[in-house]
Amino acid sequence: MSKVGAVIRREFVERVRRRSFWVMAMLGPVFFAAIFLAPLWFARGGGLKRIAVVDRTTTGFGLAVAVGLESTRGIFVVRRILGGPGVEDSLAREVGARHIDGFLLVSDSLFETGAVEYRASNVSSLEDIALLRQSLGRVAENARLERAGVNPGVVARAQVPVTLRTNKITRGRVTGESAGQSFALAYFMMVTLYIALLLYGVQVMGSVIDEKTSRVVEVLVSSIRPFQLLLGKVLGVGAVSLLQFLIWGVAASALIGRRAVLEGQLTDRGQDVGQVFQLPHVSLATGVVFIAFFLGGFALYSAMFAAVAAISSTEQEARQTQTPVTVLIMLAFFSSFATLANPESRLALALSLVPFTSPIAMPARWAAGNVSGIDVAISFALLMLGTVAVTWVAARIYRVGILMTGKRPSIRELVRWVRA
Amino acid sequence: MPDPIVLLDHVTKRFAGHIAVDDLSLTVPRGVIYGLLGPNGAGKTTTIRMILDILQPDSGTVRLFGEPGGGRAHAERIGYLPEERGLYRKMRVLDVLVFLGEMKGVDRRRARERAGEWLERLGLADWRLRRVDELSKGMQQKVQFISTILHDPALVVLDEAFAGLDPVNAQGMKDTVLELRGRGATILFSTHIMEQAEKLCEQLCIIARGRKLVDGTLNDIKRTHGGQHLVVGFDGSTGTAAQVFADPRLVTKVDNYGQYAELELASGADPQEVLRQLVASGARLSRFELQEASLHKIFIDLVGPVRGDARADEDRP
Repeated sequence: MSKVGAVIRREFVERVRRRSFWVMAMLGPVFFAAIFLAPLWFARGGGLKRIAVVDRTTTGFGLAVAVGLESTRGIFVVRRILGGPGVEDSLAREVGARHIDGFLLVSDSLFETGAVEYRASNVSSLEDIALLRQSLGRVAENARLERAGVNPGVVARAQVPVTLRTNKITRGRVTGESAGQSFALAYFMMVTLYIALLLYGVQVMGSVIDEKTSRVVEVLVSSIRPFQLLLGKVLGVGAVSLLQFLIWGVAASALIGRRAVLEGQLTDRGQDVGQVFQLPHVSLATGVVFIAFFLGGFALYSAMFAAVAAISSTEQEARQTQTPVTVLIMLAFFSSFATLANPESRLALALSLVPFTSPIAMPARWAAGNVSGIDVAISFALLMLGTVAVTWVAARIYRVGILMTGKRPSIRELVRWVRA
Repeated sequence: MPDPIVLLDHVTKRFAGHIAVDDLSLTVPRGVIYGLLGPNGAGKTTTIRMILDILQPDSGTVRLFGEPGGGRAHAERIGYLPEERGLYRKMRVLDVLVFLGEMKGVDRRRARERAGEWLERLGLADWRLRRVDELSKGMQQKVQFISTILHDPALVVLDEAFAGLDPVNAQGMKDTVLELRGRGATILFSTHIMEQAEKLCEQLCIIARGRKLVDGTLNDIKRTHGGQHLVVGFDGSTGTAAQVFADPRLVTKVDNYGQYAELELASGADPQEVLRQLVASGARLSRFELQEASLHKIFIDLVGPVRGDARADEDRP
């Protein structure tokens, strides 16, 4: 119908004309890049740990420890000192003066029982401590094996590490996608959906409250049915969000196209970090699931936002009234982390079926796990049913609310509006 | 007889706790300026909203242009200026007009042309690409008025059209209403300001507390409800005029200010008899004038002065 078309066009044109839209279009990719690249960037800091080794051993084992640690990446052995009176105090002062980061007290007990002490200004970095323990363990292990008469060459061959390459099978096909990539994709989709649902839901709310406070709505509903007006608004703002996604998508594909370069620049510390945060592959099916659930969720939540605006008289009042709706979206977002942790759990299944959480949980589960097309279809059908039901209720509240001013209606009045 | 433009048949609308419009019937014939009069809270806006299909009556029917379907079905032929004015403040003037024109079923290009013509006519052509909130209040009112009549409606509904207008704009509004009527449009407007109604209305309906008190042509209402009014002025001595005023066969109501009095004559009383008796009473008269009742007076008599309605008192002469 042409009037609905006019409402859609107005919502779309007025929004896309605004500077804030283009600011979001520009900042979006920067923001999303930051989400992914920040962990890599921050992990790069820290650098080498400079440590001293205090050798209290009687067997010269301390030397083996120092040599073994030297060959560990990230650790630099400044010097090896034989244990003696006053040595520990003077090293402690060096730590205090930041000449070294810490020192190891190595005695025969490392060889015998595995006990060794590390004193340093920072002993809370789990990553560093794990590295240290791993290296010391290997040195001690080698020494024990050699003592037992095992050929060092055999020991070295026995210790070749295992490289576990993850490769995700989705719907029976090997995707070439690693665990890290699946996680990153699911996480990325969750964050984007969460932000977009809030952002564009609130825009529908703003549009309704704008027409209500300016009283334009009275003229509008004398020419167009309130439901058509609401429909036009939701579609118009929805179209704006699609354009925004298109811009972001183009930017993201440019970013992913330079994946190798970016990863190379940001992960010079090695593959450990790169394994956790990798830029994901996005298939067409994933894109369709993402957009479909976004639009369903957007329709669901924007109808609720419209009802919130309709029962409020000012923008400030609407901001207060919207809390239950925003809490619901937040709930959907945070509970969806359960989907990331275990996409096959019952909780994940439930979250991806309930209409209020499925807009975020289902795409996350799709990206993270092995979800069949039927599961997606059922979830989407439920989302549609939920959207129709919620929109029906919201439209009835909207219809009455837009003409009301003054006191916010009570729950009982709302129930009466819905029943009327 | 041609179909009336607006026909309300025993229309009732209840809101939680009270009846806003109670069994109201009225008829607005084609081509007249019709006044819907009543104090604040009488149900004028609710009535208008039911005519426009913004609200649905609980019972009774609304019929427009003699055709079925509510106001929304005939939106193309109706222009509506609500009591509470407002436009999209962040939109450009021309865009607002085109959009509101589209809402009234005018196609985009045509709406653009018409809006341009009207802006030109009302001296706002230079403002067409400015944002609405950059305009002065008077200009915004003009823009809103253009939006009301952009689609050349056959029925123009103005809710409290004169409220809040300065004298210049009120005059402009009055001229425009007359011009619209001249072009064949039917005008339905609500007001609580009787002077405006008296100058403009050909037909009217007075409502209070949701009920119709009277309707018909202005002349008929004045004839049947006005009674005969007499203004008497004294030049010094009043003699025993007070006794004459107290005679229930001649006078039913008196406002005596000492040197000046307003009388309402009893039905059938002859003004000449009053004059004879006043002269006989020894009063020196400076003025003796037979007046037809003002609409304001009829309104107050019908609605009752004890309504305590502050705004109804604003327009006392």
